[in-house]
Amino acid sequence: MIRKFKVLIFLMFVGFVAFADNIHFVMEGPEAVAVGEQFRLGFTLNDSGSDLQLPDLSNFDVLMGPSTSQSSSIQIINGRTTQSSSFSYIFILRAKKEGKFTIRPASIKVEGKTYESNSLTIQVVKGQPQAQQQQSSGQQSSGQQSAQGQDDTPVGSVSRDNLFVKVAVDKSNVSKGEQIISTVKLYISQNVPLNGFDEVKLPTYEGFWTKDIAVPTQVNFTREVYNGKIYQVGILKKTILFPQQTGTIKISPFEITCLVRQRVRQQQGFFDDFFDNYRVVKAKVVSDPVAIQVKDLPNAPANYSGAVGNFSITSSLDKTSVKSNEAITLKLTVNGSGNLSLINAPKIEFPQDFETYDAKTSDRLNASEGGLNGSITFEYLFIPRFAGTFTIPATDFVFFNPSSRQFETKRTEAFTLKVEKGAEDSNSSVVSSFSKEDVKMIGKDIRFIKQNNLKLTVKGSSFYGTFEFYGIFILSIIAFVVVFVLNRKKIKENANIQLVKNKRANKVALKRLKEAAVFLREHKAEQFYEAVIKALWGYLSDKLSIPVADLNREKTASSLLDRGIDQETVAELMHLIDDCEFARYAPAAYTGTMNDVYNGAAKVMGIFEKQIK
Amino acid sequence: MNLMKNLFTTIVAILFAVSTSAQADLLQKANEHYTKNEFKQAIDEYNKILMTNMESSEVYFNLGNAYYKTGQNTLAILNYERAKLLSPDDEDVNFNLQVANQHVVDAIQELPGIFIVRWWNSLVNSQTTDTWAVFSIVAFIAFLVLLGIYFFAKSGDIKRVAFGIGSLCLVFTIFSWSFAAQQKGRLVNHSYAIVIQPTVTVKSSPAETGTNLFVIHEGLKVKITDKLGDNWVEVKLGDGNKGWLLVESIERI
Repeated sequence: MIRKFKVLIFLMFVGFVAFADNIHFVMEGPEAVAVGEQFRLGFTLNDSGSDLQLPDLSNFDVLMGPSTSQSSSIQIINGRTTQSSSFSYIFILRAKKEGKFTIRPASIKVEGKTYESNSLTIQVVKGQPQAQQQQSSGQQSSGQQSAQGQDDTPVGSVSRDNLFVKVAVDKSNVSKGEQIISTVKLYISQNVPLNGFDEVKLPTYEGFWTKDIAVPTQVNFTREVYNGKIYQVGILKKTILFPQQTGTIKISPFEITCLVRQRVRQQQGFFDDFFDNYRVVKAKVVSDPVAIQVKDLPNAPANYSGAVGNFSITSSLDKTSVKSNEAITLKLTVNGSGNLSLINAPKIEFPQDFETYDAKTSDRLNASEGGLNGSITFEYLFIPRFAGTFTIPATDFVFFNPSSRQFETKRTEAFTLKVEKGAEDSNSSVVSSFSKEDVKMIGKDIRFIKQNNLKLTVKGSSFYGTFEFYGIFILSIIAFVVVFVLNRKKIKENANIQLVKNKRANKVALKRLKEAAVFLREHKAEQFYEAVIKALWGYLSDKLSIPVADLNREKTASSLLDRGIDQETVAELMHLIDDCEFARYAPAAYTGTMNDVYNGAAKVMGIFEKQIK
Repeated sequence: MNLMKNLFTTIVAILFAVSTSAQADLLQKANEHYTKNEFKQAIDEYNKILMTNMESSEVYFNLGNAYYKTGQNTLAILNYERAKLLSPDDEDVNFNLQVANQHVVDAIQELPGIFIVRWWNSLVNSQTTDTWAVFSIVAFIAFLVLLGIYFFAKSGDIKRVAFGIGSLCLVFTIFSWSFAAQQKGRLVNHSYAIVIQPTVTVKSSPAETGTNLFVIHEGLKVKITDKLGDNWVEVKLGDGNKGWLLVESIERI
């Protein structure tokens, strides 16, 4: 809205200005005249005006004026009619004395409003009494030339005062890369008529990078005072030079051949007084060589861009929030005056895993009197491959400012770039999301210091060889020996307990078998076996806490097995009982001895005594 | 006498342990300087810690880093080597030492040596003296335990196994003891040194008049093999070359 409004106001303003500016009131006159010379001072107005107020012209004689003239034109182009008219007032003045005079603006009234013209500066130089002499010398030389000339346009020589070329540079002591404007000017004395140019040999400008300034192809001559003389001066060529090497550089001379019309006085003839004979001669003029001192730049910083001049830099990012795998352009524009075409693209530190491309360079340059101006734009295309928030750091643009003879740095702003995860289905994301990347080694450096784990020890000290070290060995040996001895003793003691137990068990068994032993000694077999059976059953009844009446073989065997007596001993017991019963009831069939049975019973009972608790 | 000396060392160690907090402050200050890229101040602080007759692999490592960052590559190498002496298997120390050694002018082709010897040395160097000492103690205690089992076990199988493992433990005890002794020897003897003078001419004999054999440059690690008086030492390079040089041109690790 505001923008629209602005545009509207601007358009209105333009219209208004255009309307108001329809009236032009211009003062015209020569830049340089000689004393006593007549010249024209003209005023042009594109409307009819009245009440022309002249400025102070006391330094000049007004010989005549104003003579007014009027012209009007009507143009019809594509049905549009434009009408223009111009009124001019012409005064003829004559310069009275030497000096530089400024004619203040004149004013005129158009429809009640007053308009002012521009002001004008006129340089008045000494009168030129040699004008006649010049002419005669010109005749002389042409006479000589006519004798020698074989060509139809003979080579003439015109005095150096009357025709010469100058290569003018605005500076002759510069820094490397600083711009110089070189102007090639042709000076012609007023009274040498110039017909045209022939061969032109331009300077080569070796050691420079050049850029031509556009000058009109039709050479416009202006009057200029040089060495106190008035010349017609035409600008032939303007070039901006950028020295590319240091030291003294010589600009090779500019050569031009001018065609000059000269009057020829021939043998007295009938018509001689009546018609003048003219012919065209060639005059070759060569400029003086110009030397330019070029100083080297002081020690340049590492990121020096090669630019010399005065610049400003702006940067812009076309998007600040993108999806991964989308291309972004960073634009860096360098504005200013200097060797813009020779600037290297500044290096931008993009985040490491961005895909980057070389910068594209485009320029808008304007070579003019003020030097090479304009802007150069670097476009950096890059593609972030991964999501995240990245910072594109500020870039330094370093250039050399010849006016201060110092390096200056302009800094762009840093950008923060938000990259979101792009769509999965895009081709490039498939490529990047499924291809593993090696970790890039960007630089090599030592690893960082250790922050913690302070374990300071006395220099040269170590645990090995200390008292503690040996002590632990000795202590462990001592501990081993002590444990060994104690253990041995205990084992011995344990062995003794076993012995006592055995002794007691045997005692019980022998006590029970006491009766049987008596019968054994008396060899009373029947009583012996009975006594053994009785002792066994009695012992088992006591040991297993089962009444004698309830005891039988099966019950005894099962309860003995329950108490952890092994099968072998139980079988032995059963065999012993069988033997005893055999011996009692069928002594003839029994082959064993009473001693065997006695010992077997004692042994079995001993085992039971030990094992049944 | 020896016992008295050890006792004294222990007491001193305990006293220093009390003042460790002061050194911890110094270390923190030094590390802060380093983090802020004030390497000169960091070097001063680290040296203050080392001045108290205390040392640690980390302090040497950090000091080496600070020297490296200030461009004093030779001193960096020296301190990395000292850190490596205290903890031979530290990966960071070895990495930074390797980086610093890339700046050394002399490229010495190390003699390859017999591979068993190399294995042996790398085995010995894989642990510090104290670690080997602890290993030997643990192995010895295990040996005693297994010996006890051997004596008191009733089953023949257990006895056999205990005997086998016990013998291994005893062998391990003896080896790790000797490794500890070897490592300790390195710490005490300081038989390696770094060349600290920018360029040193090595002579064939311990005198200025000796024939010039070869020229070595700062940062190179040499082994000290002999000594004459207070001025001259005989050094051996990694490629086996030997020669005499003035003692002030090297600094012992």
